Amino acid sequence: MFNKALWFQNYKQSKFLIWILLALFVVQMPLQAILSVESWQERSERTTYSEEYVYEVQAWDVMQIFSQGMFTVFLAAAIVIFASLLIGLERNTRRSDFTFSLPYSRSSLFLAKWALGSTAVSVFFIMNFLPAYFIIYQSEFREALSLVSSIEIFWAPLLGYIFFFSFSLLVGSITGEMVSQIILTFIFGFLPIIVFRLVQEFMQVHDFFLFHIGSEPQWIEYATPFLYAAGSMGSLPGVIAAVLFTAVCLWGGTVLYTKNNLEYNGEFLMFKKLNPVLVVLLTVMISFFGGMIVSSLAPWGADALRILSYWIGFTTFMLFALLIIRRLIKMNIIFSGKAV
Amino acid sequence: MRVQHISKHIHHKPILADIDFSVEPGSIIGIVGRNGSGKTTLLRSLAGILTPTRGSIYIDGLDIFKHPEIKKQIIFVPDSTEALKNYSTKELIYLYKNIYPEFDTSYLFSLMKRFKLSQISKIGNYSKGQKALFTLITAFATGASYILLDEPTDGLDVIVKKQVLQLLVEEVSDRRLAVLISSHRLDELEFMVNEVIFIKQGKVDSHYELDTMKNEYKKIQLAFAEKMPETLKDEVEILDKTGKVYTVLIPRGNIPLEEKISESMPLFYEELPMSLEDYFVAKLGGPNDV
Repeated sequence: MFNKALWFQNYKQSKFLIWILLALFVVQMPLQAILSVESWQERSERTTYSEEYVYEVQAWDVMQIFSQGMFTVFLAAAIVIFASLLIGLERNTRRSDFTFSLPYSRSSLFLAKWALGSTAVSVFFIMNFLPAYFIIYQSEFREALSLVSSIEIFWAPLLGYIFFFSFSLLVGSITGEMVSQIILTFIFGFLPIIVFRLVQEFMQVHDFFLFHIGSEPQWIEYATPFLYAAGSMGSLPGVIAAVLFTAVCLWGGTVLYTKNNLEYNGEFLMFKKLNPVLVVLLTVMISFFGGMIVSSLAPWGADALRILSYWIGFTTFMLFALLIIRRLIKMNIIFSGKAV
Repeated sequence: MRVQHISKHIHHKPILADIDFSVEPGSIIGIVGRNGSGKTTLLRSLAGILTPTRGSIYIDGLDIFKHPEIKKQIIFVPDSTEALKNYSTKELIYLYKNIYPEFDTSYLFSLMKRFKLSQISKIGNYSKGQKALFTLITAFATGASYILLDEPTDGLDVIVKKQVLQLLVEEVSDRRLAVLISSHRLDELEFMVNEVIFIKQGKVDSHYELDTMKNEYKKIQLAFAEKMPETLKDEVEILDKTGKVYTVLIPRGNIPLEEKISESMPLFYEELPMSLEDYFVAKLGGPNDV
């Protein structure tokens, strides 16, 4: 896992993203902390002119700096691309031939990628967390830090990013190239929520309820990898789940990477037995999505029309999905490079 | 190195079938076959990149898939430098030194000096010929005992090609290495290999030492007053026909066939030197095969 040559090789092929990751962490934490303290000061000063209004920094304001907000989404996206540079791009080009010809076990190759990514995420997170924390601590809003727990602002986001990176590598161990790795990481990253929403909409249109419709049950949130990176798991069970899922992804990714047949590099999936599963899953999801979109155009009161439009949308999207996904499954993207 | 009964199926199609041979130190083995015959798949399997569907590859009795550390003795040089193009020479040396404990930096520099290769910030900026030489030199500097070369001279000019081939022959004789070369350039292979493995439709069609192989067939030029008798045409391998002059291959020592040729009263009969290319045509298919 800590082989110098593999560290160097992996760094070399992903250094561009590693520095982008650092830049994003710098903007998310220390820079945002400075700007937030400034804007809190400004709001606080404004309240001195108004007797009815008292300004207090909320827990939400602090969490925006450390674990939530749009920068967590950018970081999640960067993490997916980082993982895809380590595995997917290697498969698209002929670099994986070089990597797999080296005198290392395939599990060492996979673990070295995980170790580099997890170390980069951890080091960058910690080295930006500390100054951001200090900036708030030394300001007049020090008390705001007592509104949040260490789990919410440190452990949950840090372990969440590591889990999401491990999850992206796991997806990379079954996909044959970079684009499919990115697409499937995002699809599976949101899958539980997507499925829940699609089923919910189906039931609503047909006035047929298998379960109570409301906000997502907690377990759906726990099962959605993307939410870990987006800082929505700021609780002890969330942190425990992140650690457990990281272990599962690491074990699963190592096993699958070891079983990779490199002749399928460049194709959508490495394991051909998964093709029918993926075709069915994506087709069904896209069909349900089509039903949801088209039925939303029908007036709310016209129930029969909504059901009819739902099935029109379902069928149309299903046909397109079948056409596109079958092509996607058969594609082969290899940038072979010039001879010599 | 022992290649033991390896087979490889890709998309349920057999690409390699029951390939079985051994590689001894000090030998240069040419892997020859038509396009799509499975040469590159074979080399990639030998490097441990592709996992065979059946069979395995052993070095010093150890299975390279179960003991990947033994692959320190193998280096695969593909026909593209895609994997290394973004490295500087210094970075590549650092990388190889950490992978191959016997990497010989001073030897690398001496060869770089000999071939006038300067250190560079990006290997991709070397010319095509320089890249070929540099990858070959680094492969030799690793100290690996088995060098696997996929089309090493593809697209190189005559001067560089000569340098590459000369370096290969020198290294093998000086350091008792074994080199496996897949190439279409039979004229080049003939210059350096001592064994040839013919791959046909994923199988080893034949595996010969070069000298033995040349003694297996006889290349002759024949001229007839009219055209060649039909009965003869079925028994000889026609390499070329210009008017009434035929260049044919016949198995050496086939006395009845030689008598038959003599009975057909050729106007002209002359034995020509055999080349690897003649053997290739005879073994791996006629002009209509692709």
